Amino acid sequence: MARIIGGIGTSHVPTIGVAYDKGKQDDPAWAPLFRGYKPVADWLAEKKPDALVFFYNDHATTFFFDVYPTFALGIGERFEVADEGAGKRPLPSIPGNVDLSIHIAESLVNDEFDMTIFQDRPLDHGCASPLPLLWPHEPDWPGAVVPIAINVLQFPLPTARRCYRLGQAVKRAIESYPEDLKIVVVGTGGLSHQVHGERSGFNNEEWDKEFLDLLVKDPDQLTALRHADFIRRGGAESAEQIMWLAMRGALEGDIRELHRNYYLATTTAMTVTLYEPA
Amino acid sequence: MNPQLAGLEDLEGTYVFDLRTSHRALKLNRFLWNMISADMRERFKADPEKTMTEAGLKEEEKALVRAQDWIGLIRYGASFFVLEKFARVAGRTNLEVYAMMRGETFDEFMKTRRVPDCR
Repeated sequence: MARIIGGIGTSHVPTIGVAYDKGKQDDPAWAPLFRGYKPVADWLAEKKPDALVFFYNDHATTFFFDVYPTFALGIGERFEVADEGAGKRPLPSIPGNVDLSIHIAESLVNDEFDMTIFQDRPLDHGCASPLPLLWPHEPDWPGAVVPIAINVLQFPLPTARRCYRLGQAVKRAIESYPEDLKIVVVGTGGLSHQVHGERSGFNNEEWDKEFLDLLVKDPDQLTALRHADFIRRGGAESAEQIMWLAMRGALEGDIRELHRNYYLATTTAMTVTLYEPA
Repeated sequence: MNPQLAGLEDLEGTYVFDLRTSHRALKLNRFLWNMISADMRERFKADPEKTMTEAGLKEEEKALVRAQDWIGLIRYGASFFVLEKFARVAGRTNLEVYAMMRGETFDEFMKTRRVPDCR
């Protein structure tokens, strides 16, 4: 049977991708960010998971508001990395696992999560920004990605509790897959930031720390929050942290935090964390 | 009213992108979204007015795009996540757009940041 061996929380700031492509890993302003991913990359290299299930969001790239899915799951042998206006990034396409994605889709829908399914569609920085900091990609990525996109752009968004429950349903889906696969669940986004309006540049370090602590010790407190609470405490776009709750739901029960790196440099509190079931 | 958003009325400088906004500004947002296509970027650079007219933009919307009025576009109903695609075409970084939305020069804005060289 497949099993979840751990979880990762990570920001997906697009500038991380730009800095990565420009080779700024040792630039003094960027090194604290890149160094912070090393222990997670080392853990992945040691544990060798077969797939990463990514709870991420599309930034109106793959989907436009003419049809914008609340929960969408990707199926494909490969996923291209999207052009978001600045051209293609120098990254290989990302491998999928068709059988695993289909199983998860069938399990979720029968578990009353009525997913939209997408095929032949690229993945944007919601997934592709942190991925090369987690996994090497030369000559190719070492495993598959199962992309699960969550609407955090166009309100009404799914509630925090709904995202947690989606994670729990993904856990049931994975644990009912017959092949002995090792899976890591990844929640992306955040932490505090606002990137629109005159309130752009808002951060709240105290709340970020509280969020990270509660995520481990008492996620129920976080699932009770409304989107307005996230917007007020962490900035408008920090409402996307509901995707971390999907990851936490897939790790339900006690967990240990193995690593945390928090780097608030300009506008987004860039964070990466690593968890294992306790 | 979406109960998940109740209580934000007094929060300044924040424009929640909901279905009312999305519906009202669909054509503008589609125009901005189209900048993910290299072909559309070239067409826009060659003839911005024609591209905007073909996209069905109203005069008010065209004026905002023409002026690269970032805060005006947000107040009008642009989603930041398609606006940033247009910013690439306009040769602006996100940090520059944040500064302009705040009504600050880029240098003023970066002085408020912890690691101004992280760009």
